[in-house]
Amino acid sequence: MSKILKFFDRHLAYVMIIPAIILILLFSILPILESTRYAFFDFQLNDQKKSGIYMTSNYNMPLSDETFEYIDYYLEIEAATVQKADTIQYINRMRDDIKGYQLNLKSILGSQTGVVETSRENIQVIQAINKDIKFAIDLLYSMDDVFYSEEDMQAVASELETCIIESNFIGLDNFKQILSDPRVIYTLSITLIFTFISVFCELLLGLALALIMNKAMKGRGLIRTFSLIPWAIPTSVAALMWSYLYNGSSGIVATAFSNIGLIGQPTELLLTAKAALGSIIMADVWKTTPYMALLILAGLQVIPNALYESSSLDGANKIMQFRHITLPLLKPSILVALLFRTLDAFRVFDLIWVLTGGGPGGTTESISVYAYKVMFAQTRFGYGSAMVLIMAIAVGMISYAYIKILDVKLIGE
Amino acid sequence: MKKLLAMVLVLVMVLAVGCQSTPKVAPVTTEPTQPAAPVEKVTVKFAVQADSTDALNQLVKAYNDSSDKYQVEAVVMTNDSGNMHDQLINSLSSKSGEYDVISMDVVWAGEFAAAGYLEPIDTLIKDNGWLPTDFNAGSMASGKYKGKNYVLPYFSDLGFLFFRKDILSAEDAKKLEEGGYTWAELLKMAEGYMGQKGTKYGHVYQSKQYEGLTCNLNEFTANWSDIKGGLETMAKFVKSKATPEDILAYTEGETHNAFLNGEAVFARNWPYMNGMAASGEYNVKAEQVGFAPLPTGSTVGGWILGVNANSTKMDGAKDFLSFIAGPKGQKINATVGSYMPGFNALLADSDVLAANALLTNTGFQNALKATIARPVVANYSEVSDVIQIKAHEFLSGNGKLEDAVKAIEEKLK
Repeated sequence: MSKILKFFDRHLAYVMIIPAIILILLFSILPILESTRYAFFDFQLNDQKKSGIYMTSNYNMPLSDETFEYIDYYLEIEAATVQKADTIQYINRMRDDIKGYQLNLKSILGSQTGVVETSRENIQVIQAINKDIKFAIDLLYSMDDVFYSEEDMQAVASELETCIIESNFIGLDNFKQILSDPRVIYTLSITLIFTFISVFCELLLGLALALIMNKAMKGRGLIRTFSLIPWAIPTSVAALMWSYLYNGSSGIVATAFSNIGLIGQPTELLLTAKAALGSIIMADVWKTTPYMALLILAGLQVIPNALYESSSLDGANKIMQFRHITLPLLKPSILVALLFRTLDAFRVFDLIWVLTGGGPGGTTESISVYAYKVMFAQTRFGYGSAMVLIMAIAVGMISYAYIKILDVKLIGE
Repeated sequence: MKKLLAMVLVLVMVLAVGCQSTPKVAPVTTEPTQPAAPVEKVTVKFAVQADSTDALNQLVKAYNDSSDKYQVEAVVMTNDSGNMHDQLINSLSSKSGEYDVISMDVVWAGEFAAAGYLEPIDTLIKDNGWLPTDFNAGSMASGKYKGKNYVLPYFSDLGFLFFRKDILSAEDAKKLEEGGYTWAELLKMAEGYMGQKGTKYGHVYQSKQYEGLTCNLNEFTANWSDIKGGLETMAKFVKSKATPEDILAYTEGETHNAFLNGEAVFARNWPYMNGMAASGEYNVKAEQVGFAPLPTGSTVGGWILGVNANSTKMDGAKDFLSFIAGPKGQKINATVGSYMPGFNALLADSDVLAANALLTNTGFQNALKATIARPVVANYSEVSDVIQIKAHEFLSGNGKLEDAVKAIEEKLK
């Protein structure tokens, strides 16, 4: 007992953070590990051969039962419509044979139900059975008689192959495929262009806005409040609002742009690749500049006034003060703001989803939008997970680059 | 003064404690003893999109009144079909029996069937004494995967041509209604009639980058038999002065606004637009509207019904499905909600015809005869996504025709 207490005493700090570690493990590390695991499998829901994580050979029992039932069902239909006695006899014999095959199959696999794990040897035996059945069916339809369900029968019989589930572990194939998927390359470059231009504009405008907000003047509180409004509007609502403004037949921004000659027709704004991307960037800059300004403003306020006073005594003008006092001391705040915004912008989803849906012709699709489509609309979980992992790596690289370039020590030695 | 205050405080405390310690007597509830139901009804859950008419309520009520074994509960899901798809996938992929009967958009059946989420229903059709041909062909084709039928129609829907009877000459109207015309002739007519009676456009249809574009391209390419020709025709429509400048941003909403406000001579849309015209709330009234088949067939839309393969109340689910897709349920749906019945025999039923004026129109009947389905494949959303992106890219002048044709052909293989 005293030993335990002693241990607690010595490592109190660690003991205190145990709940936090458990939470992080449960809600952060585990899901990441799970989705990392998916990335190594050809895991997709719309194919029963791949709708699970399989390391070994398996056999889909319910589908097999259903398929045998259907083969019998179609044989019965054919038996009712064929003309010759020979054919009927053949069909009757075939129905018995196929029942025999099914029993044989069950004796191999035992009485288990569901998706049954089995050995490679058993799978080979089953494949031989499938081949025999296929041969019997082909023979039936080569007979000189009138058949009505050949296409259906062949389609149903092809499901016997679907019952055999092989391991869908594919190692790094998903990643290889992603790196050669032109759509990934394209969406990634669109995302990068979007991120860099919008974050750059936001930084400049945000810095200017922060300097204004930091000035002691009348109505400062009001300016601060009003300038935050765009940021307070939910992104999807803001995107919807901009989509009305950009609308080719009634949007005021689209009309204004075409009147001053930025674009030829109001409709071109959302229907040409470059203009549409520009529109998205503009909406994003409008929306998130206040956020940037807020973060920089916080940095501005911790710069002691004494520095400015003493430098002005030394004869420094405003520009010199900005370059040699404001900017260097703002560096950590700017880094944090840039980091936040870059990571945010890199994951851009809702703005594009609502404003253009990725159009025209997929030219404004960001990698998040594509990943969402792959994961949820197309249920290709393996491929989608791999894509998301690559996104995470890209985000990590960007963060690292920022810290290196701006050379700021976030954590003191 | 202080004493008084102290006394008041003490009093308050005593009261507070006293109140707390008062034994709480549970109110004696005298529930009226209801006559016990002879057998507890099994609840069957029906996942369905919201119905703006009263048909769904009446369907459920009629079933619950007639069945003494099962009780149906309609789980009304979101009206956004993309979101409903993702919600259903979420539930079905976890092998949950949360929903027993599922209402699906026609294009989901291939995916759901391939994933093993749906129970084949050929035996159900047989047990009811029906044939697959008793139901709407396009809807049944949408739900037939690998030789098995998985769905029955809930209500069918199809795209067709609306035109302004008060503008077109009787001769042209007749030609359209008979259906023996080409896309080029339609464009010529649209260009010729445009401007009459205050119209601004000749023809409007859906070609924003979304599912509607796939539906329209299905029609332009004559069910994908001539992808190159279809895309070229569509491009001619886009370039023509007879279509709005921003036709590439048109969805159903823009289409019905333009047509019902009297801005367009022709429109390609779904039957619901006729209901809007019939309501009398728009500039264009029902008597000004004529209907015609499209030159190369009408895309089938609408909703279909299937049974969850993991349902724990399989018998109840099948019983309800037989009711709702059979003549009784379909008649309620057609007479109360004016939906197009999926059970063919009802197309000649006098009550159904009385509730749905469209069904007696020659032009519409001709459209009904030439319905085409969208591709029935396991990865439909992926296929449709590529079709939308490539077609929109080409139509908006951001891509080459050859690339679009090649990409679409590859996906349809």
